[in-house]
Amino acid sequence: MNKISSRQIYLFLACVAPVGKLILLPAQLANFSKNDLLFPLLAHLLLQAAAVFCVLLLAKKGQTLYDLLVRAFGKIVAKMLSTVFALFLLFAALLPLLEQKLFVQNVFYDTLPSVVSFAPYFLFAAFVCAKPLAGFGRTWDILGPLAAVGLIGILALSAPNADYAALMPAGASGGAGFLKGAAAGFPWFYDAALLIPMLGHIDYKKGMAWKGALFYLLGGAFVIFFFATFYGIFQETAVNQLFAFSATSKYYSGITMLGRIDYVFIYALALVMAFYCALPVQGCAECALQAYGRKKYLPTVLGILISALLFALSLLLDYKFADVLKVISGTVFWLFPVFCLAVPALLLLFLIKGGRRETA
Amino acid sequence: MKNITGKLKGDLKELKKLLPAEDTLTFEFTAEKGLAFALIYADPITDKELLGEQVIRPLLRYEGEPAAAEVGKKITSPELRTEKSFEKLCEEILAGNPVLLWEGADEGIIAGTKKVFTRAVAEPSTDVVVKGPREGFIEDVKINTSLVRRRFKTGELKMDMLEVGRRSKTVIVVCYLEGISTKQVVEAVKKKLGEIDIDYIPDSSYLTHFLASRPYSLVKQVGTTEKPDTFCAKIAEGRVGLLVDGSPIALTVPYLLIEDFQSSEDYFVPPYRATFTRLLRLFALIVAIYLPAFYVAAQLFKLQLFPVKLLLTIAGSIRDIPFSPSLEMLLVLLVLEVLNEASIRMPKYVGMALSVVGALVLGETAVSAGFVSTPAIIIIAFSGIGLYAVPNLIEQTSVVRLVMLLVAGSVGTYGIVLVTAFVILYLVTTENFGVPLLAPFSPFRAHDLRDSLVKYNLGSLSTRPRLLKSPNKRRLR
Repeated sequence: MNKISSRQIYLFLACVAPVGKLILLPAQLANFSKNDLLFPLLAHLLLQAAAVFCVLLLAKKGQTLYDLLVRAFGKIVAKMLSTVFALFLLFAALLPLLEQKLFVQNVFYDTLPSVVSFAPYFLFAAFVCAKPLAGFGRTWDILGPLAAVGLIGILALSAPNADYAALMPAGASGGAGFLKGAAAGFPWFYDAALLIPMLGHIDYKKGMAWKGALFYLLGGAFVIFFFATFYGIFQETAVNQLFAFSATSKYYSGITMLGRIDYVFIYALALVMAFYCALPVQGCAECALQAYGRKKYLPTVLGILISALLFALSLLLDYKFADVLKVISGTVFWLFPVFCLAVPALLLLFLIKGGRRETA
Repeated sequence: MKNITGKLKGDLKELKKLLPAEDTLTFEFTAEKGLAFALIYADPITDKELLGEQVIRPLLRYEGEPAAAEVGKKITSPELRTEKSFEKLCEEILAGNPVLLWEGADEGIIAGTKKVFTRAVAEPSTDVVVKGPREGFIEDVKINTSLVRRRFKTGELKMDMLEVGRRSKTVIVVCYLEGISTKQVVEAVKKKLGEIDIDYIPDSSYLTHFLASRPYSLVKQVGTTEKPDTFCAKIAEGRVGLLVDGSPIALTVPYLLIEDFQSSEDYFVPPYRATFTRLLRLFALIVAIYLPAFYVAAQLFKLQLFPVKLLLTIAGSIRDIPFSPSLEMLLVLLVLEVLNEASIRMPKYVGMALSVVGALVLGETAVSAGFVSTPAIIIIAFSGIGLYAVPNLIEQTSVVRLVMLLVAGSVGTYGIVLVTAFVILYLVTTENFGVPLLAPFSPFRAHDLRDSLVKYNLGSLSTRPRLLKSPNKRRLR
């Protein structure tokens, strides 16, 4: 199977990555930044675009994360750092999984289903780990356009009901609102970190780094428009709308006649989200495999173990989502900028230094 | 391996020992000058009239030396070969080609007077067209090769014959255009065929198991067609074709899933019409797979999916149904599958009665009796018709539809989303002979989209599909 192509990376960054920000994040930012929710969002998008730029520059070397770490620090430290990064991805997978679970249980069922209704997802996550990364890249050729259709569809049904004037006056929540919103938003912005396990599997093309960052910002433009529409519809009550992309379109006037036609787009986005949320799980398995060797059935076994662990956590934390959110976005949010922003930059720095040393 | 000795009595005894079957006969005769000949043949599959005309009659007046080259000159059969080994001679006899031995023979002569029982070349019932050629392959590989050869009057068309099957010795013809098909694929096909160690190949479908990269997969990985024009068109694109003796279904590799959404007729109608029908087939298939599942899931878990008026109509229809929505749908689906299975194998005159029983007695009466609801019957009927829009994928899609239905009844709409995710990931990671199954969509190949779900006009299809990596790229100048 071939490597992940540049087109597939662009599709992921422009179409698939935005989908992960459309459930709980709009309400979260509205809670802290009120009508200024677009400012922390914009800041995050710019920071992530820079991180994506760094990671894609690293892809130029054609080496895996482990290989890069070995080059910079030697084998033992590389193994340790790979394990730490794998554990971070496992931790990063938790919030989107719980968020997705909550979304599925509330949006796809009239009555609250049993806790095991989301269980089949973990089979899928394990299946994803057993498949090669390049195969996952190929899914973006299908999911990218599907996500674009879903996003455009939802926006088309929602935009006529939004009052964009509600976003004014800009800056009303002040610097504190911005900082609080920015801090609380970090757990949703780990796209650059998702690309790191793919290093060595990316077919690098000239100019890929800046094009990747640009495509990420293009997808970000969709997200900004969606957030503006979301706040334009719900305004002060936006904070209570936990499942944003299924909530904004329900006021479409054709629903009385056609039924919940918007669910066509919601299901499309849910399908994309199933893949997106499985990415950190696969990334975690991939980092571990790079560091400790890839034996015949190890990817499958590791996938099953990681998925089982996440399933157990999802059962344990079933009614504690608010507490989990509080801890992840309030107490340990700093882990995200460290691993998603600092790690790519530092890796690049070490590589440049190493490169200079080699040249010298 | 024993060879013939030239002593006729001894050689006949040896052959009879190897072929003790009673339908293997020996005809002994003597030429005018006294040279003794013997013809050994398998009675049911040898054309005795031809044998008498082309072999026995000329040899009755034979006056020359008992050397194979001399004897061969007298025989008027156009298919003549010589062979020394008893084992090979036995194989030929069992294939319907009589063997001629004589006193002092250095080699046996094999005459190609096989009697072939074939049906006439007719339009295949699974691929009927309004416009375009109507010929279909039949069970005889020789006639099938002639149907292909007639379409390519070039020496570049290679037809490599192989024998597969320890006991059946089934003839398989590997067809390809030299310089257009990639050598790697041709070699890989031959290698895979050479590795098959099975005693009997009754049909080409047996080979698909050995040619697939994932033999136990539900997903189809080898292309099939009953039409020589489709077969030749695929070969002309750079694919490798396989004709199997005894099977009217030819195989082609590499296979793309999109091939089964295309019909041979698409190439004989305007491109916009072809595009429309291809999209229609895709739509029909999607609806056929998803409609029953979503209907059940919506009833059980998410009533909001129905518009209010439709919901009221459905509520009225299902009010007195004693079964759960999923069980009701499964029962109707089961009846459809049984009717389908029975109607295929029933004599035609009974088939009509079966349709009446199926449609009126079972359908109408079951609704009146309150066993099943009208929407369930409508949905399953539409789904049943929809699957036949892509007939070559029936085996796979009917299973997926059943899985979707079971998951929808237990997990709801999110289950359907997850099964779709599984299917997508599985399909994108499947490839055979180095070509991904879901191409040109995943991986995306813009050039090859010209003849995929959309169909461009002939002028735009000047180059062969890039996915097949043909060394000769241009087909239209």
